[in-house]
Amino acid sequence: MRQLRSLWVGWLPGVLAALGLLGFAVMLFVVLLRSAGTLSLSSLDPQTLHVVKFTLYQALLSTILSVGLGLLLAWALAHQPRFRGRSLLIALFSSSLVLPTLVVVFGLIGIYGRNGWINQLLFWVSGDDLGSYLYGLFGILLAHVYLNASFASRAFLHAFESIPQEKHKLAKSLGFGVWQRFWIVEWPSLKQTVWSSAATIFLLCFTSFAIVLILGGSPKYNTIEVAIYEAVKLDFDLPMALKLALIQLALTSVLVLLSSSFRSPITNLKKSTAHIIWQESRGIIWLQRGLILLFTLFFVTPLLSIVAEGVDAGLWQIVQRPIFRQALMTSLAVAILSALLTLLLVLVLSAAKRNFDMPTRLGRSPWARLWSLLITLSGNLYLAIPTLVMGLGFFLLALHSALPRTLWAWIAILTANVLMSLPFAMAVIYPQMMKISQRYDKLSFSLGLGRRERFFAVELPYLRGVMAYVFALAFCLSLGDLGIIALFGNESFMTLPWYLYGLMGSYQSRDAAGVALVMLLLSVAVFVWVPKLFGGRDVTHR
Amino acid sequence: MLHIDDLSYVYKREEPPYRYSMQVDAGEIAAVMGSSGSGKSTLLDLIAGFLQPQEGCICLDGKHLEHLPIEKRGVSILFQNHNLFEHLSVAKNIRLGRKEATDKEIADILEEVGLGGYEKRLASELSGGQQQRVALSRVLLRREPILLLDEPFAGLDEQTKSQILDLVREITDRHSLHTVMVTHDPEDAKHIADRRYLMHDHRLTPQ
Repeated sequence: MRQLRSLWVGWLPGVLAALGLLGFAVMLFVVLLRSAGTLSLSSLDPQTLHVVKFTLYQALLSTILSVGLGLLLAWALAHQPRFRGRSLLIALFSSSLVLPTLVVVFGLIGIYGRNGWINQLLFWVSGDDLGSYLYGLFGILLAHVYLNASFASRAFLHAFESIPQEKHKLAKSLGFGVWQRFWIVEWPSLKQTVWSSAATIFLLCFTSFAIVLILGGSPKYNTIEVAIYEAVKLDFDLPMALKLALIQLALTSVLVLLSSSFRSPITNLKKSTAHIIWQESRGIIWLQRGLILLFTLFFVTPLLSIVAEGVDAGLWQIVQRPIFRQALMTSLAVAILSALLTLLLVLVLSAAKRNFDMPTRLGRSPWARLWSLLITLSGNLYLAIPTLVMGLGFFLLALHSALPRTLWAWIAILTANVLMSLPFAMAVIYPQMMKISQRYDKLSFSLGLGRRERFFAVELPYLRGVMAYVFALAFCLSLGDLGIIALFGNESFMTLPWYLYGLMGSYQSRDAAGVALVMLLLSVAVFVWVPKLFGGRDVTHR
Repeated sequence: MLHIDDLSYVYKREEPPYRYSMQVDAGEIAAVMGSSGSGKSTLLDLIAGFLQPQEGCICLDGKHLEHLPIEKRGVSILFQNHNLFEHLSVAKNIRLGRKEATDKEIADILEEVGLGGYEKRLASELSGGQQQRVALSRVLLRREPILLLDEPFAGLDEQTKSQILDLVREITDRHSLHTVMVTHDPEDAKHIADRRYLMHDHRLTPQ
């Protein structure tokens, strides 16, 4: 068919983009390896070994706690399908994905810090407080659980609600108790999501940077990412940074390979509507309600603390400062450009992958599976190449280049942000493209619709909504990132997270509160309003 | 006798209530017909206890069921899909009906539904018709007096459907069950039902 022959337009840009991304990864590896020269990785000094062990340890603990808590919360929410504000609460928990990490850390300090709400409350009640207990392993775990448990709970809730109603009715009619229901009815539907979420959370915590940088407190609690940063920025010890980067790269590659059998694409967070029919016993109802209430308090109080302190900080004065305006403009430019590039890249990658996966297109060609796999790999590069390792690669290139440093900073930050958003963007756009193809390909081809007609008349109405969602997601992730900027940031190249980090480091808490509030409001506004502005349809609810 | 008297249920206040009255004797099959969304399955949810009626009574041999918990109503249910837990073996699926059942009892029951020797097979390995037979064998093992069928034959081919309809008839007769079958197919109703009801305009009327 003519339409099938013209499909190269659909796959060639995607294949070129995928090859470009994979080529970039190889180039980065070569740059690091060449610069490392005669470094020996075989003998690790005790300090490096400690950093590696602690990185693995905190990631493992964070994963266990996040998955456990996320599962409990999802279980409670799934079995309490009707209470006022439930949808809002679920949307709020889902938003943890786009909350700027540094803002979350600031909020947690506002609650659990030396002068936080908990200590203030204890002092008011008993005249004594807990002192400084946040910094160290506790703080790292707390922040990781805050960000990941809430996000994971959304994916688990989706799995709970996808269990057919008949299964619940059957279990109830067979007299199952809560535990039997969980093992026989719910766990089989949940386990794939649990393992895949655990693998993703482990990788994210393993490469966590901003949280450990601020809440780690001392070298005892350094992870590899933070150790790389300190080696470059504080100790100017490039050989050490290179050694750590290569270790990090090797470990993440092994972890990505090991976890690839567990990891499925990150769940597309669509609103769920299914409700489980099950009359719980009174004790279980109270347990579920208690869990929801406790987690809500845990999640909401840091946000409230940011709002309270931010409002009190004299926002008007802060926003009039030239340095704030510079940081804001740079952040907006970075976020908008990153989001547009992500959108462009995810569309060409997903379109190409769809062409190789659909039997109605090129799915039967002998190389289709290989190309499809390469595209998937290129879209998930971020998981294997942590930000600081990537940043170090760019840093080395900049050192030996005649190009201005600021230009390298822009290239590095945009590349890192796009790669960071791509796995999430692919998880949203690709399934939607597949659904559209499965439903309309045969009809479109049989009607002889051209590529342009197919895209604008058939696909765009269904893609518009998810494209807006991806734009908002990439915008927020880029806006809040404190990764590459930690290596390239300076007085003349300042983003909001870097500015906030500087304020927090110099104990200017009032100004920091104002900046944190602006970042929070900006993220929430874009994440909520952009997808609403563009709307869009769901293929399954035509 | 299963006696349902002026049972009513309202989903939305602005809509009229669904009203049901019917009788089913032991060893009888009552077929409830009607179009999609007419309220047929709501009746089964009310009998099983998944929904609580606003008014009316559900009595089995004079005993009121409407305030009893689901597991104490003496009800077995068969749906169109999802009657088995796919990750469990046939024997384990059946034993969920009665934990103390012996291996011999399970083997005998499987023989009765024409699936002798299938104990160790995974439920996911069975065809649609075989899955319905396994679900029916669990019904037999449970020995509950009421059997509710929520269009369980809709996805089956004609030959398999006919065989399973006959099996339901046989089981109902032999074990004196009170069977209520929801179907949109009048042929199914003609095939095995002793009483036929039509759900129309929110009301159940005998045919």
